[in-house]
Amino acid sequence: MQVSPLANPLATVAQLETSGSQLDGIPADLEDSIRFAGARLTQAAGILLRLPQEVIAQAIVVFSRFWVGPEGGSLEEYGAGQVSASSLYLVTKLSAFPKSARSIINVYAYLDSFPSTFVDSDLLQQKKADAYFVSEGTYQSRRTALFNTEQRILYILGFQLHVSLPYILCVTYLQALDVFTHPRASELANKAIAHLNTSLLSPQLLHLTHQPPCIATAAIYLAAKEVGIKLPDVEWWEVFDTDREELGFLVVGLLSMESFATAEKQKWGEGKIPMTVEELHREMQTRRSANGED
Amino acid sequence: MTRASRWADEEADAAEAAQRKKEKEAKKRLKLAKQQVEEAEEAEEVDEAQESDSHRFKRRRLSGSVEGNDEPDPKPEERKLLRFEAGGWGPARHTSNFEILNAIEEGSYGWVSRARDTATSEIVALKKVKMDHLQDGFPITALREIHILQKARHKNIVELKETIMGNDLSEVVLVMEFLEHDLKTLQEDMAEPFLASEVKTLLRQLGGAVDFLHENFIMHRDLKTSNILINNRGILKIADFGMARMIPPPHAPLTQLVVTLWYRAPELLLGAHTYDTSVDMWSLGCIFGELLLKEPLLPGKNEVDSLTLIFTLCGLPTEKKWPAFYRLPNAKSLKMPRESRNTGSIIRAKFPFLTNAGAELLSSLLSLNPEGRPSAKEMLAHPYFAENPRPKPPDMFPTFPSKAGQEKRRVREPLAPKRGEAPGIQQIDFSGIFANRDEEEKGAGFTLRMA
Repeated sequence: MQVSPLANPLATVAQLETSGSQLDGIPADLEDSIRFAGARLTQAAGILLRLPQEVIAQAIVVFSRFWVGPEGGSLEEYGAGQVSASSLYLVTKLSAFPKSARSIINVYAYLDSFPSTFVDSDLLQQKKADAYFVSEGTYQSRRTALFNTEQRILYILGFQLHVSLPYILCVTYLQALDVFTHPRASELANKAIAHLNTSLLSPQLLHLTHQPPCIATAAIYLAAKEVGIKLPDVEWWEVFDTDREELGFLVVGLLSMESFATAEKQKWGEGKIPMTVEELHREMQTRRSANGED
Repeated sequence: MTRASRWADEEADAAEAAQRKKEKEAKKRLKLAKQQVEEAEEAEEVDEAQESDSHRFKRRRLSGSVEGNDEPDPKPEERKLLRFEAGGWGPARHTSNFEILNAIEEGSYGWVSRARDTATSEIVALKKVKMDHLQDGFPITALREIHILQKARHKNIVELKETIMGNDLSEVVLVMEFLEHDLKTLQEDMAEPFLASEVKTLLRQLGGAVDFLHENFIMHRDLKTSNILINNRGILKIADFGMARMIPPPHAPLTQLVVTLWYRAPELLLGAHTYDTSVDMWSLGCIFGELLLKEPLLPGKNEVDSLTLIFTLCGLPTEKKWPAFYRLPNAKSLKMPRESRNTGSIIRAKFPFLTNAGAELLSSLLSLNPEGRPSAKEMLAHPYFAENPRPKPPDMFPTFPSKAGQEKRRVREPLAPKRGEAPGIQQIDFSGIFANRDEEEKGAGFTLRMA
């Protein structure tokens, strides 16, 4: 049967229940933090590589798929930074905007040079040339790692790289709702797209649990509420194949992102969320000794 | 701590919002119901005026219950919403799940063999990915083939069942449905060419698959008889998507080094950097001719020889027929004769047994100007398919002993182009390709500009 171009393969209940990292004894909150940071890292790298948002979003979904399920990748074995880089490399390779291994390695080296996970986005645009040139030897070894992890991703996903995104649907739905005659329609559209971008970072893995039409509908619903534009006074979301319950869940999920991100930022402060296996071990050691002292 | 309270807040908020929504809903439903009752009453009044007899009966029924009425229910409990399914994912299975029976052939980027699924005893074709060009990680050609075959589910496109891996993950094997024949080997073994009705059936299936691909923004870029499989039930399927890719955004540079030489469109031979799905239509034209002749239509030995064969068959490009021709990179090295006498197409003459409609279709597919070629959809709508003899039903096809089932094949045609730089056309010696047609024209056909 022809796979619907609107649909995404979704995670099974079993996959959502247990993760490879969980089986290796990594605390769930730490895993959430690392996945969140990894998705943000992919987004930042994609922007620096001047990739279209659709390509970046696909890479984030591939990155997210990698970690779920008992057969998924474990943070004990793979650094989130490496998986992020390889996801982006793999997805760009299939897109109309391929990037060389060297570009990817340089950009990730540059992003790794910042002392804190939560840096100002202005700071990212600064040119610190010395930070993103890696020596030839480093390049060779990182390239090998990039390729090995790429194969690992292909293995764990069983080559399932198909990602459908809600962006185009969102614009189509807005047109169908006839909102573009409204003077503040562009504000609504911007907000809705912003919610879609945010949805990629959700610890609830919205793109692994819900289909793009529902995510697009929820983003529009929420954006319209925030901007104060009145949408049809009927259950219009059903036209876009979203039922009330799903809509409610997604809206709550999107709304919770701000407080989740703020809490993450507070929790880690100037520190760095562990993006490699070594950093993870150090973090676990610190936590263990902190608990021991208590 | 903060976490719990935050979520509690969310839930409370959500509950509140849901409550508000519910209230609003209820109000709205009430309003709607009232409105509908009013409407019904209005309608009743109209009825009343028309047929006063039924008035009392209807009135009674209305006041009795709104639900029991033949009015549409103001809020049906279950409205049917579309549900999209796209499966899930899990780790690739191990190669040991399959038992290899015999080798079939070596393709442009992989080895193909016939195998049996040890669990289900199903016979499949395994295509092992060649890991030659590892400077870019996992080979892009294999990646594209897998990605595109996952999307392209069609009755005339070979089905990719799954992708399996060996112990060290660098062994990657595509598991595909097994078909008994490929069109090239089959034709070589046949005593007579396909019948007109059989050609039509094959071409129609081929056109259907290509139309599907193009509708889904996929260019195959390596259509040829050895990539077209056929089973013993007369069903044809396109295989080998190693050259295929999604149609990129406009003006993205594409490699011109695509399509096996014999099936390569003239604009590619002349170095066009942008091209579209019409390159597949040219290949379809070559295959159409090959099915009629039982031998390759344009078996050029190299790029120049191919161009020579093309111009001999289809005529010389003229400003009127193909305005963009002179702007193609390699066109500058050609010098065209001033007189265009006797340099037209000889397609009609080459296929004397083809009907006029058939010849017209073949000529349009082999139009030098890419814009002159029909789309796959237009091709399928061509009168050729409607006229007699009608396409033969696939299940009426004769069956043949399968070579793929038994023995290894020899590769006798050129392979699909390898990755790398496209060789530019430097020297073109076309002298005398029209010499036999008109003695007065001898030597004046082409001259190589040496300056």
